[in-house]
Amino acid sequence: MQIKLTCKLSDDNLNPSQGLNQRQLAIAISARAEPSQEVPLNLCLILDHSGSMAGKPLDTVKKAATELLHQMDWRDRISVIGFDHKARVVVPNQPVDYIERIKSDIYALTAGGGTCIDEGIRLGLQEMAKGKTGTVGQAFILTDGENEHGSNERCLQFARLAAECNITLHALGFGDYWNQDVLERIADAGGGALAYIPNPETAEREFQKLLKRAQSVGLTNAHLLVELEPGVRLAELKPIAQVAPETVELSVNQEDNLVAVRLGDLMTDRERVVVANLYIHPVAEGTTKPIAKVQVRYDDPSAGRTNITSEPALVVANLPASYTPAIDPQVQTYLYALAKYRQTQLAELKLSQGDKQGAATLLQSAAQTALQMGDRQGATVLQANATRLQQGSTLSEADRKQTRIVSKTVIVDS
Amino acid sequence: MLICPSCAHVNPEGATYCEACFTPLPVMRPCPSCGALVQASASFCGSCGFNLKAVVQNPANMPVGMGMSMSNSELNPELPSPVPEALPETAKTQLQILKAGLLHLQTNTLVELPSHLSVIHIGKPNSVIPPDIDVSGFPNSDIVSRVHADIRIEGDAYYIEDTGSSNGTYINNLPLPVGNKHKLRSGDRIALGKGDKVTFIFQMVQPAGSS
Repeated sequence: MQIKLTCKLSDDNLNPSQGLNQRQLAIAISARAEPSQEVPLNLCLILDHSGSMAGKPLDTVKKAATELLHQMDWRDRISVIGFDHKARVVVPNQPVDYIERIKSDIYALTAGGGTCIDEGIRLGLQEMAKGKTGTVGQAFILTDGENEHGSNERCLQFARLAAECNITLHALGFGDYWNQDVLERIADAGGGALAYIPNPETAEREFQKLLKRAQSVGLTNAHLLVELEPGVRLAELKPIAQVAPETVELSVNQEDNLVAVRLGDLMTDRERVVVANLYIHPVAEGTTKPIAKVQVRYDDPSAGRTNITSEPALVVANLPASYTPAIDPQVQTYLYALAKYRQTQLAELKLSQGDKQGAATLLQSAAQTALQMGDRQGATVLQANATRLQQGSTLSEADRKQTRIVSKTVIVDS
Repeated sequence: MLICPSCAHVNPEGATYCEACFTPLPVMRPCPSCGALVQASASFCGSCGFNLKAVVQNPANMPVGMGMSMSNSELNPELPSPVPEALPETAKTQLQILKAGLLHLQTNTLVELPSHLSVIHIGKPNSVIPPDIDVSGFPNSDIVSRVHADIRIEGDAYYIEDTGSSNGTYINNLPLPVGNKHKLRSGDRIALGKGDKVTFIFQMVQPAGSS
């Protein structure tokens, strides 16, 4: 499977009369779809069956999980872990061929006990290791509560371990009493999505969405490698972030002018878009200035090859004698997405410090930013919450989950 | 160095988007007269008082709506530019119209005083006396009261008085007692709240062309 890599600057022209030019480099990466080369999935469902899931919640989750089986290929592998304050293997890692037997095992889950997410992840990773070769490893973690019997730090360690083992973790928050900070950090560290299931009825849809995403993964373990040319440097604060399919602050490894960032898996139908914030000295010989050399290192499970390095893409800016802006509208939208996320994050920080007015102002800016990028639904949610704060009332748990989700993604109604 | 109006993060030179929250930062450009950096939307240079709107710049750098009367229409083809109010008569009338403004020191932003009001309320949004000059966008504006001070215009004279703010008003580093009026002179330093954190310089500026 081939890789698709495109680089664009927020403004191709540099302004020579300015000492330093700030530019954003947007890098869009996806796998080129080749239907003959579908890679089998190694899916693990890590399901919370603590006491609070009793009744309809657990029933719908079980139903949604079994529905997934029908859409999987017989070469795919499945494992299911159930956790309360301990974890156990419900379905051992196996091919999806005896669907009925797997189903009856899932239906045997009963609700009871507390919540220990880290044990669930640990056992899930262990079980997935058994079907590792030649597959794309994806895990869905579903929980409805705080990690009261476990350690959040340990969760993150396992999420990072998963990333190192080339397994993607997606986190699903069920109901309104899960911890959005912990689940978001698990999903970010695990290179996956954060999904919100506000009520049992939406469980199946969220599961399906994630399965579709998991099935579209073509290449794995991708790392972005950027070599900055002389006179170009990264911004000091949070220089690189992913803005699509969801917004994630990426951790950057930099040695001199070499920058490396882990991206995780690459999908065939959706681009991962990364924005790097750069400062450029507009000085060069001639009328163009080289900015950076961009490469991606990745694994191709369908061909059984690892550590493939893509052809380098060269990013060059123009250095005209007199400056006229050449703003790229697409990159502009990416910047709005990042602004929306960061403004909302700052609003939540203000809120946790008890500054309701400050939080309301920032939420309002975020709503405006959402409008500018054409995200009406996001704007509506953010504005409603800003108004709520301005009127002196507080945000409910559901409001906070919704805020987090709309700041991180653009919800598309299907 | 640019302070983000939205989150107060201090950005390095050259930043156009705030590194912390990615809000677009105010565009700064050098004053053609003295070279100090001023906001692209400013009417007057904060450090020398130069009338920025009277200068015709090369069209590329010029924000829409700044097209002046002497520019031919092709400078702003998409916009039948609103006729600037002051300029047409500058050739004939030599009225000494002084414009008053407040220069915010910490961000080097010029706030023009609305010319149609005789009392100008300074403060932050509230439901009782909405401010004519809203300082909530400036850094450290949390020390400014919602209803902080008034500027009164009586003839040619400008007076400032504190309207019962919590943290006080300081003129040239001396406290202004509630109930006292201070007649403002160009160059007076007005600090809202303690610690000299939200500071304005009162300026009387003569629009260029009417010398």
